[in-house]
Amino acid sequence: MSLRVEAVSLVLGDGDQQVRALDNVTLKVAPGELLAVVGPSGSGKSSLLAVCGGLRSPTSGRIHVGDTEITALNREGLTRVRRDSIGFVFQQSNLLPSLTVLDQLLLTVHLRGKTPGTADRDRAMVLLQQVGMESRSKRRPAELSGGERQRAGIARALMSSPSLLLVDEPTSMLDQARGQQIVSLLRGQCHEHQVAALMVTHDPDMLMYVDRAVHIADGRLKEMEVSHAAH
Amino acid sequence: MFIALRDLAYAKGRFFLMGLVVALVAYLMTFLSGLSGGLISNNVSGLIAAPVTHFSFQYDDRPTFRASLVDRAMWEGWQARTGVVHAEPLGHTTFNGRNQRDEPLEFVLWGVRPGSFLDVPVASGNRLGAEENGVVISRLLADRGVKIGDIITLDRVLTELKVVGVTADERNYEHAPILFATLPKWQEATYGPPGGPPPGEKLPDVVFDFASSVALDLQPTMTPEQIAAADTDLGTTTLTREASFQTSPAYQVEVFTVAAIQAFLVVTSAVLLGAFFLIWTIQRTAEIGLVKALGASNGYLLRDSLGQALVLLLGGLAVGVGLAVLSGIAFKATAEAGTPFQFQPATVALSALFLLAAGLIGGAVSIRRITAVEPLIALGRDR
Repeated sequence: MSLRVEAVSLVLGDGDQQVRALDNVTLKVAPGELLAVVGPSGSGKSSLLAVCGGLRSPTSGRIHVGDTEITALNREGLTRVRRDSIGFVFQQSNLLPSLTVLDQLLLTVHLRGKTPGTADRDRAMVLLQQVGMESRSKRRPAELSGGERQRAGIARALMSSPSLLLVDEPTSMLDQARGQQIVSLLRGQCHEHQVAALMVTHDPDMLMYVDRAVHIADGRLKEMEVSHAAH
Repeated sequence: MFIALRDLAYAKGRFFLMGLVVALVAYLMTFLSGLSGGLISNNVSGLIAAPVTHFSFQYDDRPTFRASLVDRAMWEGWQARTGVVHAEPLGHTTFNGRNQRDEPLEFVLWGVRPGSFLDVPVASGNRLGAEENGVVISRLLADRGVKIGDIITLDRVLTELKVVGVTADERNYEHAPILFATLPKWQEATYGPPGGPPPGEKLPDVVFDFASSVALDLQPTMTPEQIAAADTDLGTTTLTREASFQTSPAYQVEVFTVAAIQAFLVVTSAVLLGAFFLIWTIQRTAEIGLVKALGASNGYLLRDSLGQALVLLLGGLAVGVGLAVLSGIAFKATAEAGTPFQFQPATVALSALFLLAAGLIGGAVSIRRITAVEPLIALGRDR
């Protein structure tokens, strides 16, 4: 399994202000599988994403990314796991404004302490080609549409060959048609690169484009049936 | 500096403005160091050029060339001490005078013994001793129109001095050019009656037993304790040549003023850069969180941030220092003789280093903020 979440709970706040954001959550995502976590605002979607990405420590439970139990790691260890094993696709894509699309991808190489070389550039261009952004490689984020920014974000997330993709509301800033294209693209990339992906979304219309879905409410998960669209 | 260099290219306007501030501060610092060097040189160049290690004055907590009076026993006593290479009487009096064209002159008259280690070399004309009333003038006076052969008459005492030589460089004290006379002529002008002794008479011998200070050339092996013992025995107070600069009242004020301006500039530039990088960091908080979420360590981001500050500083310094040196050279070339301006490479380099250090300290202000950013913010705060 690329992601194993075992009995994870997360309590936020103190005293009377305590909120149980995640309540004994257990789930698994296999390589090449796109799992959607659907739920309303405040249900615990982003908390689940944060603990799976090592951005927040759970109150209890264990999380494995690949063979690494990230709940046992310190801050530096979590930074390494995020750099080497996890790819993030953020809401609004979160690209750095001063970097071109190509540089957004090459940054992940530089973060690993390497100076990007020809092979890295070639790989980045292949990924950009796969997401339909090859011709936009020299553009900066301000020159891209919302959909293009998301595509660039997906390519960046795949650049470090992660074992896990964590995808945060990728369609929230897009219209229905573009949203469907992005989720379809994500699923295709997960299959092609055999990457496990956990996508949180509030949009049930996207479920027909994912492999599996779970519903989250008050921090608890419930498996859902998905009926696939013609992929 | 993957992100830093791209930020510099992307936010050109902001970084250009900040670089301009650094360049202007560097320009002012460098120009002031030229002024500082010039003031020091102009003020006490006579002392700097003198081949002495120490000056010995009449015993005083705060001795000055002007007020000091030493006698023959003192300079002969110093000469007899072990470790003393040379001990020579030096006369020092400030005079006003006029040349034969009735042009007023203000200068310091130094009395030295021809042939002694204090005897001043000349670039043109003759050395001291060729003529009984001959004087060697500082280059500064020659630049101001005084020529070899000119007769300078001292006000009040009416002693006439004939210019016989000119030094190669400026020899000043308290910004006034030095005239080097023979020690007896200085003693006559300083202690004798106006107009000199009556015809056919000589000044009493006692007049020739006094000078202002004892110029010393001491062996490096001579310890402060040995110097202090000599002072106690001879009734003198001895200062190193560098410490003797402080005997010029203007010297301390000038050096302090320029140093204070430079210190304020350094502090100002540190604060400006600190504020700039702090605001820049605050504006980039979301980006820093994002890069951390992607796996950047604090060390990576700090290297990137300080590298950016270093590039900005080095660029600004290169432009500012370069322009200041060029305009300083042009200023010196067109300014009138005696304008106190002199670049010393070591001083210029030191000023630049101070600014660099101050700028990096300013840039480092944002370190705490960078390390405090949580990668969690990449997911957004309100969900």
